[in-house]
Amino acid sequence: MAGPEGQSDHVVFEQVGLAFGRRPVFSGLNLAFPRQKITVVMGESGAGKSTLLRMIGGLQRPDRGEVRVAGESLADLDETALGRVRRRLGMLFQNGALLDSMTVFENIALPLREHTEQSEEEIRRMVHQRLRDVGLGDVDDLLPGELSGGMLRRAAFARSIVMAPEILLCDEPFSGLDPPNVSRIEALIVHLNRNLGLTVIVSSHHMASSLRMADQLCLMRAGAAISGTPAGLASSQDSTIANFMGEDGVSYLAGLQDQPSAGDPS
Amino acid sequence: MKAVVGGLGRWVTESIAGLGEMTIFAGRIVRALWVPPARGALIRSALFDSGVLSLALVCASGLTVGFVLGLQLYNTLSRFGAEESLGTAVGLSLIRELGPVLTGLLVAGRAGSATTAEIGAMKATEQLDGLRMMAIDPVHFVVMPRAVALTLVMPLLSAVFVLCGIGGAYLIGVELLGLDSGSYLANLENAIQFREDVLQSLVKSLVFGLLLAWIATWRGFSCAPHAAGVSRATTSTVVTASVCILLADYALTALWAV
Ligand SMILES: Nc1ncnc2c1ncn2[C@@H]1O[C@H](COP(=O)(O)OP(=O)(O)OP(=O)(O)O)[C@@H](O)[C@H]1O
Ligand SMILES: [Mg+2]
Repeated sequence: MAGPEGQSDHVVFEQVGLAFGRRPVFSGLNLAFPRQKITVVMGESGAGKSTLLRMIGGLQRPDRGEVRVAGESLADLDETALGRVRRRLGMLFQNGALLDSMTVFENIALPLREHTEQSEEEIRRMVHQRLRDVGLGDVDDLLPGELSGGMLRRAAFARSIVMAPEILLCDEPFSGLDPPNVSRIEALIVHLNRNLGLTVIVSSHHMASSLRMADQLCLMRAGAAISGTPAGLASSQDSTIANFMGEDGVSYLAGLQDQPSAGDPS
Repeated sequence: MKAVVGGLGRWVTESIAGLGEMTIFAGRIVRALWVPPARGALIRSALFDSGVLSLALVCASGLTVGFVLGLQLYNTLSRFGAEESLGTAVGLSLIRELGPVLTGLLVAGRAGSATTAEIGAMKATEQLDGLRMMAIDPVHFVVMPRAVALTLVMPLLSAVFVLCGIGGAYLIGVELLGLDSGSYLANLENAIQFREDVLQSLVKSLVFGLLLAWIATWRGFSCAPHAAGVSRATTSTVVTASVCILLADYALTALWAV
């Protein structure tokens, strides 16, 4: 499935630098997000996770360096051409970003109405399917302002996947969710990735879920990133990794690392 | 001294850059008018927000201004024994000046500020970015319908204001002070030229509407993405639009007078 060298990375950051005023957020960031894998981006608050996702969507342009999505360098694209790229992306914003003048149903139906010729019946079916996927029923006629925080995030999640994107960007999909819904969203992300082949990039503080579903982990700190497989990071001697993950994370990772040998039949 | 000159220089360059961005923004709105889909439903709902919701304010203000004009002009005119001309004086001052200008200021305070606040809040909560991520142009989806609505409601509300004002002055002059109803109306009708007065009045308020639409949507669209930024932008809309409306009023009046 994955093409020749370099094609296997869906999103690539090359020497990306960005500063807000005099405060640098990224300096020489190099990162690759493999196609059809789940990458979890971690890092303390303010490390630049949301900014990273916004750059993939072309909402934030880097000062230096290059961001390539599906082989296209975003720097060369104007707003119209970016629209073409964005139609292959689904994005869950950290605060949902649903249009607060429209009902939940209309919010989720909006991209379908704008970009497809589907009948009202098909749209209705599709929207309800997505709402069921995220565990919401009977919220059609509510305004986003009438939802709870967790419901709002799940409705926004439904909107981000309704167009069947190739790349799904999720900014903290688990924050504010109760444990059953964390499992539900986690399972949904894994399903989208394993069965529908989406490339998923998630930013999260939720250690357990992140470690369970990640094919690749990416740790942001001091304007750069360390990335690797969960097992690979666990065996690294870098103390910042251990510091960030805490004891739970490290022991979980250590467990992961032991598994292959433990389960080895030979 | 150096600091003052530097500050002035920076202010001038920033103002020019700001005007440039505003011009590009206006171009984007105009282009959005021709790009399908036409956004009829969104324009209708914006017309409701800016127009219908401003109606009560405009009617009440028009009526009150009519009362005041009736009293003031009656007193002044009666010194010359010309109180019969009350209809002429009230009609001309309302149609030519007070209607468009006061409506412009009222709508800037009511609907212009609301438009800025709404677009600004959508920016602050990433709703505009959300639209962009869905490959929907926020200028086409959010800005253009509101700009069209603000532009269109201005002449309509100004006409309502003028009618209410004439009615208010009628109540004072005829019902309260005992002028002859027929002569009030006949004077009014004789004095007013369609082309000279009514059409110019409508063109004036259309220009005010365009100015307000441009300023209000731009201030919202370009505001700093947080609550304080939105509130600054909202204040700035009312101040800037009011000053621009008054300046444009003078410019148009002077233009037509020569
Ligand atoms: N529009 C902006 N203007 C100025 N500074 C910004 C802006 N957006 C982000 N920053 C700065 O960039 C840094 C990274 O912000 P970002 O929102 O990406 O962090 P984050 O990793 O998502 O944090 P959190 O986990 O709290 O969501 C922060 O230090 C923040 O102050
Ligand atoms: Mg964030």
